[in-house]
Amino acid sequence: MASQMLLSLLVFYFYSFHLARPIHCSLGSNGIDTASVSKEEFSEELLLKPLPDRKVLAHFHFTSTSPPSASNGRHHHLFPKSIAQLVKKYKIKELELSFTQGRWNYDRWGASDPLSTRNAKPPGVELWARFDVLTKEEIDTTWGNLTNSLSGLFCASINFLESSTSHSTPLWGFLPNNGDLRYGALPREAVCTENLTPWLKLLPCRDKAGIATLLDRPSIYRGHYHSQRLKLRSDRLNGIVIEQTLSAVLQPSDRTSWSMYQLFKKIITEKCALAKSSRVFVEIEGNLGSKNENILELVGEADMVVNDQNGHSTIYQYNVERYSEHEPLDIMVNWRDPLQLSFLQAPFHASRFLMGSGNERGSIAISLQSARNFTKGLYDGSNNCFTKVVVFQVVPWYVKVYYHTLRIYVDGEIRDTKDVVEKINITPSEDKVSPGTLEMMLRFPCGMISAALTLDFDKGFLHIDEYPPDANQGFDIPSALVSFPDFISSRIYPDSISSPLLHSYKGRNVVKSYTEVLLVPLTTPDFSMPYNVITFTCTVLALYFGSMINVLRRRISEEERLAKSNDKRRPGFIPLLISRITNKIRGRKEDLADQSQSSQPLLGHKVIFKVVLIAVVATLWHYFLNTS
Amino acid sequence: MADETNSGTGTDAGTSTESNQRTTKPGTKRLFLTVSILVSFLLGVPFLLKSTEIHRSPLPSAAISSLSDHLQSKPPSFPCHFQAIFLSPSIQPDSSLSLSIAEKLNAHLTTQTCGNCNFTFSATVDSGSSCHHLGNAPSDACQWRCGGAGLVDAIADRDDREVDELLQSTVNKRTGGCAGRVYSVFVMEGERERVVVGKHRHAWMVVKKLDDSASVSLMIGTVFGDYFMRGGVGKGEYVPVGSDGNVVLSYSLLNSDPSDWVYDWGFQMTGEVLLGPVMEALAPVANITIESQVLYHAPKSSTSYWDDKLEVYVVNTRDLPFFVNSNEWHLDTSLSASGRSKVLQFVVYVPSASECPLYIRTPEGEMSKTNAFISPMWGGVAIWNPPGCSMQSQEDPLVRDSLPPQELEKIIEIFIGQLRLLFGLNSSYVESNPIYKFLASEKGFTDWELDLLYRQHTCFNLLSGLSTLQSLSRLVESLPRMIVMDEIGKQVELSLEAANLAKRNISHGINNASALSSTRARALAEDAFFHPSIMSISYSSMEHYFAIYMPFFAPVTLHVLLAAMKEVKRYYAERSKYLTFRASKVKSS
Repeated sequence: MASQMLLSLLVFYFYSFHLARPIHCSLGSNGIDTASVSKEEFSEELLLKPLPDRKVLAHFHFTSTSPPSASNGRHHHLFPKSIAQLVKKYKIKELELSFTQGRWNYDRWGASDPLSTRNAKPPGVELWARFDVLTKEEIDTTWGNLTNSLSGLFCASINFLESSTSHSTPLWGFLPNNGDLRYGALPREAVCTENLTPWLKLLPCRDKAGIATLLDRPSIYRGHYHSQRLKLRSDRLNGIVIEQTLSAVLQPSDRTSWSMYQLFKKIITEKCALAKSSRVFVEIEGNLGSKNENILELVGEADMVVNDQNGHSTIYQYNVERYSEHEPLDIMVNWRDPLQLSFLQAPFHASRFLMGSGNERGSIAISLQSARNFTKGLYDGSNNCFTKVVVFQVVPWYVKVYYHTLRIYVDGEIRDTKDVVEKINITPSEDKVSPGTLEMMLRFPCGMISAALTLDFDKGFLHIDEYPPDANQGFDIPSALVSFPDFISSRIYPDSISSPLLHSYKGRNVVKSYTEVLLVPLTTPDFSMPYNVITFTCTVLALYFGSMINVLRRRISEEERLAKSNDKRRPGFIPLLISRITNKIRGRKEDLADQSQSSQPLLGHKVIFKVVLIAVVATLWHYFLNTS
Repeated sequence: MADETNSGTGTDAGTSTESNQRTTKPGTKRLFLTVSILVSFLLGVPFLLKSTEIHRSPLPSAAISSLSDHLQSKPPSFPCHFQAIFLSPSIQPDSSLSLSIAEKLNAHLTTQTCGNCNFTFSATVDSGSSCHHLGNAPSDACQWRCGGAGLVDAIADRDDREVDELLQSTVNKRTGGCAGRVYSVFVMEGERERVVVGKHRHAWMVVKKLDDSASVSLMIGTVFGDYFMRGGVGKGEYVPVGSDGNVVLSYSLLNSDPSDWVYDWGFQMTGEVLLGPVMEALAPVANITIESQVLYHAPKSSTSYWDDKLEVYVVNTRDLPFFVNSNEWHLDTSLSASGRSKVLQFVVYVPSASECPLYIRTPEGEMSKTNAFISPMWGGVAIWNPPGCSMQSQEDPLVRDSLPPQELEKIIEIFIGQLRLLFGLNSSYVESNPIYKFLASEKGFTDWELDLLYRQHTCFNLLSGLSTLQSLSRLVESLPRMIVMDEIGKQVELSLEAANLAKRNISHGINNASALSSTRARALAEDAFFHPSIMSISYSSMEHYFAIYMPFFAPVTLHVLLAAMKEVKRYYAERSKYLTFRASKVKSS
């Protein structure tokens, strides 16, 4: 950039602009509309949470708000201009984009606390958005443009979600809406630093100062799970609010104690100068403050300790402002007895797998295993207790699911679907047009131990152009979402902590879990087949044509007669050959010498002629190919 | 097969006599068969070629090259009319004055550049009582209608701005409908020699003696030739306007290090007020939108050092190419700059405490007065040093200071000057001759400068659009297996049409319409060139083509050709046999 700049210095004696309008007066004494300037806010938070399997969850949470204003999308002070322009141009009401690597381990890292229900995401890219546009066609084109803009903004292939075969319109299975929501997922998208850098660019301090300095790329990407998210909400009342979160599950090198420096190889020395608040929290799950000391020990004095109203967790708060370069913030945790640390499981453990073999058909199964501590609490022995489970699943069109084959097993016994399914919404897939969407609300008795749903499918054939370069790897079916609307995870902390992160815990967060991504191997054709078919057919046709023309043209009787008359003068090739061989055996060399002497010059002449002919043809051919 | 016996030589002929004897005429059935197959094959070749042809929309390459040749050899020139009005009650200037001015003007026209004036010149002596017209005016309608002798007294006791407005209203009154197209210079006698170029399309000059025709003609020639015609310098090579006619002016305030101080600004108020008239003025050339943002942690990338003599940190001119730090300055392209619009970045750089105050040093060793520089086609940078930067950093960094509005106004004025430079005009007119004075417009651009911009813009658009079309047609010719969609062909045709229309409008002197259609011509040409399908070169190359058709056509043509050859040869052999038989029969009989 710099090298190509043809710079010229302005040495101008400035062309006396007598500005006609009295600006000073119109702007008042201060001259700056301080109200609108100060309203754009930014805050940064980090939550560290020791996990029962001795890993550590680091959850970065950045919030930027922009008040409703006419100049949104044009003039900004703290809020990222590109995002505001995106919201304005595509009339976005709500949007969530997540890049995830690895799979959230619901069994070990928690499944029904707000942190996991809000932030656990399926592998790859997931994008959903709600629009403030009227018609369906408008929403579809807006979605297409949005995916392209986002893919440019985040250096990812989100633009693949533009085609109608890869996004769907769930009505209530994903999030209740009135048809203005679009959902798409790319399970195979690899996530790396090139996605993180543009994400960081949206923060006013990027990773130059404040909590984001901890985002050391090797430490973050070495983790077991990594999910970076951008969530934005826009309405006329509150303006635009974006939440940028990054959750990483890291493995400390030492099994008995860890510090922030050991985890990230970086420490926090100062807050981001633009942040309204800058805090680090440590959340200890499960037990009350006094008991924690038996399990782990926090080194470094917290500014505030608060407990959740229900006693599910304890939060230790550290204000970054207090720390400086001479006294950096480095929280250290020593484990005493990690086995005692409990966590909240989801009511059911959901997993999904494929059944059947071969390249023709198979079936998808979703299995739900009840978590023991939940059923105990819920089951009151009567038959009137039911648990609701909502399944949302998008299947690409080339996996042709037969929805009538839905079978539901409860505790190993097949049940009539009418008894179990409370509400169902199926959008069958249309070949090369749209994926199949299944939204299903199920009602299980409370005492149920396990349940399974199976659906049969046929594998479709793709056109030869539609196969990706690595066709033999198989095709991914995005994660299904299983949510439990009866179970709400929320943590209510005292209002004295005015933190956007902890505030988001208050809401009605429905417990949900994403299942595994499925890999379906499809029949891949031999990609050279079209050529083989062409050449083979052509050869057969040529043979047929040649023989037909010969049959029509040749005069068998005349040729026979000619052959006979020729016989009289000169022996045929085969008799000549036989006679030669017999001569050779008998040793009559003089005759052979005679023959060869007479025939050789003639033969040489012919050979030379043929070679020259072929050479000429080849040269012409070459010349023709080169010129064309 | 059944009628084989009577077709060829037949068995009857062969059995009775030897093979070189023939009693019947040779049949033509097989000959006809094989030859008709061959002919049908030959007839089929065009159909095959047609059916395997790649769709290529024909481009009017001849029309493109002829038009571009025409533009190269004879750049379009715009009709302008210049008039000089001598306000003098007494003197009768001779007609040689008019001729010598015309000569001077012609001297300015030596370089054949696009956007030049194809001028006509007239001079009028308005003495109040009498009216002399020298030279030839294009039409009577545009001729100066005398009666402005009273102006001399009116001018005497007013300041320049008032005079300018007065003259503007007079010109409007006295040239009728041509007011927007005529450039005038008023010449009067006076004590103090001076030349004032106004905001509109006129200038006035006070000379000591009107009789001194040599110096008067030189001055008039300079005003018309150097300023009204060429805008002082007349660079105009770069036009920083996107090919769809959109320009986004993106203003950014960069805080080098927020831990020292954080500055904010009230750009949306001040900026909109100051830049609004500029946007309006440039509307025919470009559709301008304005954006602003504040960025933090954005250090410059070139080095600065402490200068003991000036007691400031300085950046040398030669280090300026490295000033813009593309790694840390996230001056994103705007989402509203969709398609092929142009983003011009204007950056206010607030240095950190370790490099404050920061100044640009000119090669002469002085500090730059504006402390700003431009980079053509990219934008401009202005350095703003916070007041009292030698003091310690503020106690509470959370309280964001704001750029004082007066300072912001100054910076925006610098940016307007930079915008003028980016558009190829002078940022200001500093003359070696102190008698010249230029009135500035609050729009940033005077009327005569805008005229110049329209002319250059039209010309640039025409030339660049045509060169795009030419490269497209050359590209299409060089790749015979490239698919050319109908849409591209249509766009090329429309673009050519628009270019021709612009050319016609130029010769008729309709500036607005020509600017519009030239923009359209360029936009369409770029659309065609950057059409998404242009990259889809057909996958089936010549080799594939042969690989597919060879297995069928090679053996079949061999058969057909051989059969036809053999049959023709045999027919002639048999016929000669028959003819000799007939001859011998005739002889014997």
